[in-house]
Amino acid sequence: MTTSVKKLVTAVSTSIALMGAGHAAAEIKIGIAGPMTGPVAQYGDMQFSGARMAIERINADGGVNGEMLEAVEVDDVCDPKQAVTVANRLVNDGVRFVVGHLCSSSTQPASDIYEDEGILMVTPASTSPDITERGYELVFRTIGLDSMQGPVAGEYLASLNPERVAIIHDKQQYGEGIATAVRDTLKNAGVEIAMFEGITAGDKDFSSLITKLKQADVDYVYYGGYHPELGLILRQAEQADLDTVFMGPEGVGNKDINTIAGDASEGLLVTLPPSFDEKEENKSLVQAFEAKGEDPSGPFVLTSYTAVQLIAEGIEQADSTDPFEVAAALRSGSFDTPIGTVEYDEKGDMKSFEFVVYEWHSDGSKTPVN
Amino acid sequence: MQDLLYFLQQLINGLTIGSTYALIAIGYTMVYGIIGMINFAHGEIYMIGAYTALIAITGLAALGIAWLPLILIVALVCAMIVSSSMGWAVERVAYRPVRGRHRLIPLISAIGMSIFLQNYVHLAQGSRNIGFPALIEGGFRFGSADSFQTSISYMQITIFITTLICMSLLSLFISRSRIGRACRAVSQDLGMASLLGIDTNRIISATFVIGAALAAVAGLLLGMYYGSIDPLFGFIAGLKAFTAAVLGGIGSIPGAMLGGLILGVAESMTSGYLSGEYKDVVSFGLLILILLFKPTGLLGKPEVEKI
Repeated sequence: MTTSVKKLVTAVSTSIALMGAGHAAAEIKIGIAGPMTGPVAQYGDMQFSGARMAIERINADGGVNGEMLEAVEVDDVCDPKQAVTVANRLVNDGVRFVVGHLCSSSTQPASDIYEDEGILMVTPASTSPDITERGYELVFRTIGLDSMQGPVAGEYLASLNPERVAIIHDKQQYGEGIATAVRDTLKNAGVEIAMFEGITAGDKDFSSLITKLKQADVDYVYYGGYHPELGLILRQAEQADLDTVFMGPEGVGNKDINTIAGDASEGLLVTLPPSFDEKEENKSLVQAFEAKGEDPSGPFVLTSYTAVQLIAEGIEQADSTDPFEVAAALRSGSFDTPIGTVEYDEKGDMKSFEFVVYEWHSDGSKTPVN
Repeated sequence: MQDLLYFLQQLINGLTIGSTYALIAIGYTMVYGIIGMINFAHGEIYMIGAYTALIAITGLAALGIAWLPLILIVALVCAMIVSSSMGWAVERVAYRPVRGRHRLIPLISAIGMSIFLQNYVHLAQGSRNIGFPALIEGGFRFGSADSFQTSISYMQITIFITTLICMSLLSLFISRSRIGRACRAVSQDLGMASLLGIDTNRIISATFVIGAALAAVAGLLLGMYYGSIDPLFGFIAGLKAFTAAVLGGIGSIPGAMLGGLILGVAESMTSGYLSGEYKDVVSFGLLILILLFKPTGLLGKPEVEKI
């Protein structure tokens, strides 16, 4: 009796182990690394929902070269230290393709690890130019660069013929990078920069800064950073009767700014990638998101979807899951994606990516201004 | 004239933020004065106070109650009750069992408690910034309309007055009441006080409860003043308040008030005349200077060597 039970147990466990092994071999792991928690988790939600949808749809179509995609999701809290930890975890898990990270300051240190370990990374959100400046072979993105977004914002501001503009940033790689690009564009256009100053991310009290802006008598304030700080600045500025128009990058353009700033968010100017979800050819995809109760209109949903799709098409074209061969396929090919036709240059940046200026409203909607 | 108005505005900004630093600093300074440990979880108690107040306000709004004084009082009472019980529980769970050991042990316990509470709120309330309704709006303005105007909002006035009331009540309580006298006795000599029949455990608990209640007041005020709260905001505020306590002389209640105001004004003047980037550099630089030249802080008494 005991022996037969033992045999049974052995047989069952062996077969489970074998099943597991067989299962794993037929799957391509896609790491998805972004903030699930922390102050910018809502951007992470966009990233995860876009990437999950792509994996679901590709698997429903029979996978990539007959192999299924499997998501390995990790949380980097948009913290550079945590990003390194989760990058190492993905390495340990045997992941060879990563969609992520979200914040430039996380993407940068994580990409060092991926490049060393031969892992291909596509970031759907990091816009800092430095990320692709280091000659890495395996780093790509499905979003534009601060050096493209900054000039769009700067040129728009310059076209309004302002007398004086103040530029504030959060001293982080993303915020300061884009703020510098805006400053340079405005300077070239001959606009007077009344102020160029950093704040500390996580601060809550901006009364001194707002007093200073009031004193400087500026027409426009450009803020390089994310919505938690800008939301508070908008709200505290309204309470202090500061009469000026604020503008920010896509890092401030989400509905959470309305819960913080309330009516003060009306009239905020934001540069965002064009609304891919309103494109005619993405209709069925948008419906698929809506059927799941998810909102495809966030700026990083379809860029994340595209990141997964590019990895899948790269693997198909290279007919290999070797990240270096996939990278070569991505560089040489031209891909039809929900965010338009994607072609890569040597650095891993898209050859063209458009940013549009929107006016934000206090109900969380937006209208294009140019 | 314009320069003067500008200076005045930055002074008001600084005093407002300084008063709330002072309210939080009380919790650090009282606990240090009595048992000689730094309660690093105090910033989290403050954060929990703010969350409780927000939940109470939201709840009242859902019930359709719109009478402002009632909302404020209910929010304040709820926040004070929850924070105080939290303060009491933290002491009971994390500090009392390790009291009297090497001084590093309660310190580590306190840091652990701080991490625990932060992550607990992360899980319970989510990690996003939550908007806090501005219940008190409007204010006074000075200066001509076409140039720079100094404004002082009703919210800032509320913060000053509440802080003043809290501080005066606390001073009266410490100097006049029985528990206050026992507090002073325990802070002078814990062993001797207990020999004289003072229930030292009760007094220490009372210290934590009072500190937590004041932190809850600060939580409600600052939530309304700034406009958003998140699970991490207690940490930074706690660090600043701790600096204020050390600056004024840790263990001294007037010192906490003075330290808070100096720190607040130093920060706003740095942002106003130099650059916001140097705000923390100046406030912590100030701390280093004070510690170098007057290690007991501005109003602290030199520690008498107990033999």
